[in-house]
Amino acid sequence: MARKLKVWVDHHSCVGNAMCEAIAAKTFRLNGDRQSEVVDPTANTEAEILEAAENCPVSAIFVEDAETGERLFP
Amino acid sequence: MPTAIQDDLFTPDVIANPYAYYGRLRDEDPVHWNRGYELWVITRHDDLVWLTRHHELFSSAVFKNDPRPAYPPIDESDLGLYDYVRNYQGDQFIQHDRPEHLEMRRVMHSYFTPKSMEAWRPFVREAVKDLLDEAEKKGSMDVMRDLATPLPVLVIAEMMGVPKAERPYIRQLAEKLLYIGRGEYDRMKPLTEGMRGMIEYVSPLVDKRKVDPGDDFISVLARGEKQGVFTRHQVLVNTSLLLLAGHETTINLLCNGTLAFTRHPDQWELLKEDPAGRAKQATEECLRYDSPVISIQRIATEDVEMRGKVLRKDDRVRWFISSANRDPEAFPNPETFDIFRHPNQHVAFGSGTHHCLGATLARVEGQEVFKALAERFPNLRAETEELEYQPSITFRSLKALPVTWH
Repeated sequence: MARKLKVWVDHHSCVGNAMCEAIAAKTFRLNGDRQSEVVDPTANTEAEILEAAENCPVSAIFVEDAETGERLFP
Repeated sequence: MPTAIQDDLFTPDVIANPYAYYGRLRDEDPVHWNRGYELWVITRHDDLVWLTRHHELFSSAVFKNDPRPAYPPIDESDLGLYDYVRNYQGDQFIQHDRPEHLEMRRVMHSYFTPKSMEAWRPFVREAVKDLLDEAEKKGSMDVMRDLATPLPVLVIAEMMGVPKAERPYIRQLAEKLLYIGRGEYDRMKPLTEGMRGMIEYVSPLVDKRKVDPGDDFISVLARGEKQGVFTRHQVLVNTSLLLLAGHETTINLLCNGTLAFTRHPDQWELLKEDPAGRAKQATEECLRYDSPVISIQRIATEDVEMRGKVLRKDDRVRWFISSANRDPEAFPNPETFDIFRHPNQHVAFGSGTHHCLGATLARVEGQEVFKALAERFPNLRAETEELEYQPSITFRSLKALPVTWH
């Protein structure tokens, strides 16, 4: 069973590049300000979510293990 | 009664100090119709962020979608050359909209992640050291010629696997490509020479990488052709684009930032107190205060209302980074160069789906240069206050920046 993730986007940094949405479309969606929001951190695989975080050009995506608090990205 | 706003964007005054002219527009008429060039001039920070994040309303396929002739006007006998320019520019990935833009960008995107660019920092640091060793021996330098130009050319050439001996030739071609943002009546000739030269130069490199790929960046693009995302012409044009974009804008960051420090000794003192700790924030302020790119254009895809004015479908829309980054609504004391500025949500790299692909690389190069200058040349100062800029509305490019440190 996949571990539970805590995923969030820093809106001071997010520039709405939308690469996260392209890579993990079920997890990230642009809001009315065209910034990324996490809609469901269980909807994509951990690998897809980490790929989305790594491809954020301004490193605005943070990923942690929801149970242990271990930082998975960055 | 206020004087009317003149619409020539290439006068010596506007080129020397774009901040006064576009600042006035930002205050008095932030969505301004420039009659001379038939284009909208957008100058406020929030408008610029909104516009760049609504890519479906503002097409980046400027050369393909703009039905009007070149501006400023060109010689009639050069219209054939202008067609060549449109065709060349039109194949750049940045001149595409979704869905094609996303598909093309994805081919290259993973090469440019913050993490993979960070891995280039030791290479950049070593290159800066070598260039400053040379400068130290001479006792003075032209920051443009001796540091700001060779460093990013070296880095991007290394990424592309361009042999050392051929780098000056790349720079020669790049200088011709810069005519794209300029206003000279006869600019099509040097511009197309640069474009044809680039295509000829990169063609055999792409052929080679297609059969024998490596981990260099041209191999990444060649793979895009194999995957059917790019045509051969697109691979050639985008290789040239990245060779140019990979260094031209960084040159301006390094020169304009160094100039800002020589003009603000108090900020230079602050950087010198802790170069390694403060270079990151200082680089962000350099990007905001005297941005490498002045403006970028889009084409409206439908009628759009902004601040009570209607931008019609197919209208040219030009957004000005230089004025948005000095917008008092977005930055307290915007005319002050303040390396501790926080938050600093500048738009030097644009925003939205077209946010600069090479932003992290530019940041790494800026941080390493400002840090090294502060550590090695504490008495750095400009040799002259009389500086000249290239006559461009796209790039904020100094012609030279002589400095000394004795």
